[in-house]
Amino acid sequence: MTIEKMMVGRDAPPPHLKVAGIKKRFGGVEALRGVDFEVARGEVMALVGDNGAGKSTLMKVLAGAHVADEGTFWLDDQEVTVNSPHDAGGLGIQIVYQDLALCENLDVAANLSLGAEPVKPGWKFLPRFLRPIDDLRMEVKAQKAIDRLEVRTLKSVRATVGGLSGGQRQAIAIARAVGAESSVVMLDEPTAALGVAQTRQVLNVVKRLRETNHAVVYISHNMRDIFEIADRICVIRHGGNVGIWNTKDTTPDEIVVAMTRGIDEAKNAV
Amino acid sequence: MQSEAKLTFVDRLRIMRETKFGAFVPVLLALAAIWTYFGLAVPLFEYFTDPSVDEVRFVFLSPRNIYNLFMQSAVIATLAVGITIVLLLGDIDLSAAATAGVCAALLGVMVLAGVPGWLACLIVMGVGAIMGAAQGLLVAYVGIPSFVVTLAGLLGYQGLMQKILPTGNLNVGDPFVRAIARILIPDFWGLVIAALLVVFVAAMALRRQAQRKALGLELDSTTAIWGQVAFFAVLIFAGVLTMNAYRSLPLLILLLMGLTALIGWITTSTPYGRSLFAVGGNSESARRVGMDVKRIRVSAFALVGILAAIGGIFGASRFGSVSYTAFAGGSLLLESIGAAVIGGTSLFGGRGSVWNAILGALVIGSLGNGLDLSGASAADKLMFSGAILLLAVAIDALSRSGTGTGR
Repeated sequence: MTIEKMMVGRDAPPPHLKVAGIKKRFGGVEALRGVDFEVARGEVMALVGDNGAGKSTLMKVLAGAHVADEGTFWLDDQEVTVNSPHDAGGLGIQIVYQDLALCENLDVAANLSLGAEPVKPGWKFLPRFLRPIDDLRMEVKAQKAIDRLEVRTLKSVRATVGGLSGGQRQAIAIARAVGAESSVVMLDEPTAALGVAQTRQVLNVVKRLRETNHAVVYISHNMRDIFEIADRICVIRHGGNVGIWNTKDTTPDEIVVAMTRGIDEAKNAV
Repeated sequence: MQSEAKLTFVDRLRIMRETKFGAFVPVLLALAAIWTYFGLAVPLFEYFTDPSVDEVRFVFLSPRNIYNLFMQSAVIATLAVGITIVLLLGDIDLSAAATAGVCAALLGVMVLAGVPGWLACLIVMGVGAIMGAAQGLLVAYVGIPSFVVTLAGLLGYQGLMQKILPTGNLNVGDPFVRAIARILIPDFWGLVIAALLVVFVAAMALRRQAQRKALGLELDSTTAIWGQVAFFAVLIFAGVLTMNAYRSLPLLILLLMGLTALIGWITTSTPYGRSLFAVGGNSESARRVGMDVKRIRVSAFALVGILAAIGGIFGASRFGSVSYTAFAGGSLLLESIGAAVIGGTSLFGGRGSVWNAILGALVIGSLGNGLDLSGASAADKLMFSGAILLLAVAIDALSRSGTGTGR
């Protein structure tokens, strides 16, 4: 049985970002051996696989952090190239790494605008990096981003990130990725280190992303989260595709079997 | 208030340190304690215990002594402001005092050779920038820890200063250089400057509040705004009036304040300054958002070099001479690092303020000055300075522990 047939057929939404035949080799190790992947706007696509299956490598390739040895990218049916994080950012592909990379000593607004601080108009005689920051505009922007994701527990965008909870930090990292005019947001194990209430908060943020018509790629090991949040589930194993399932047509057991034993046995197990 | 009661002392300390204004409080308290001790406690103790003293002599708090205190602390403060910049990155510069020494020596030699004073000052500032940037390049691109690079710089530049000044001493008589410390702003104009600054600060605060209102952002409490303006006004008028009571506001102090305001503005209100804090807080994060971390490091070290050169110029101007012991070979380096750290700038990077460095310099200066007045030996001074420095770093470490773990 070919992969295409196992993939969700006619009822799959038109993909926003699509890649095909991605190969990536690190020295003698073939991390990805021809992976296909796609995600549509307004859906959450879960990317699952056992440790070493190539999830993170695939995600880094999509984000431009690794350059694929082979493979093709399409964004809305336009063929594109992604050779650096800068390319990916330019195409609206953003990634939230597990470590979040927030500056704990700065406040929420500063973190959300980090590296792209708005400056006040005028002051043309100074180079851009020495012009005064328009911190009020920065706060407005941050407040908008936070409101859009409906992070209700965050009281002030002037709070220092160092004093926030894990869920709030995750939400801010997501808000930063979304704020940069992005259409594809990839989340790497966003709930891995969080408790129940914090996980709930992050899942709500992910739902908001779907409602705001973003294409969300969600990497996780947690089947409960995946079955709550994902529309489709893409399983990869040993650097290759196993298949894509509609969440409502499958069960956690089926996915776990597909992750660990591959497609034929998954079929037998059903 | 109920929940506040449950907080531990360390929690309160941390919360206080995280507010913009609260970061000043520990160093201001330290300064107040030192001034109370030397200014009030020592003279009163002397008055009540020593029968030969027939009146209370407030030597420490006399305008004359305060004036000298500010002048003495000016060089330390200039270097401390510079060192604060690299501390924000999480680096350290041990060579700042030696750089200041080389620059001052070069200045002395150049004006002696007939180079105009203003030109010599510009040249040594350039030399300082190159000396700093050279170390920055080694830190950023070769990847040697800044501690080691600047330790090597300290030794090398000390040697360089001895090469430039084989006798170890040189008088600087150039009128331009001397003028920096000699020119006094007339009493009246000093007050005008102070009044204008207060009006400016108040106007900016009100304008900001109006803008926040217009944009629908959360507002600062009115009490806090006026409190800050009033506090600023009290500080600046107290300073100017005290100076006027002895002589007048010296140009040197005005320059130092202007320089600190400029650096303070750059570090807190420009994308460049924000990048300093970002690199110090999480350099990986800074790199991922596209900041050139290496170039930022080099530029920060270059800035320290420039400020060290300015410190050298201030020193040469104030002493009227350049000597090896006053800069590279003396206690200037440790005092200026101490000043920055006592001011509350974290050695771990990402937190601090150049204004605090000025206050830290005053703490160090007051301690030295006060102990001198009460006849303490150099040994006592060193031991006291060590204790104060330890206390400051302990406050830093305590207020830092606990951040990073979510509440």
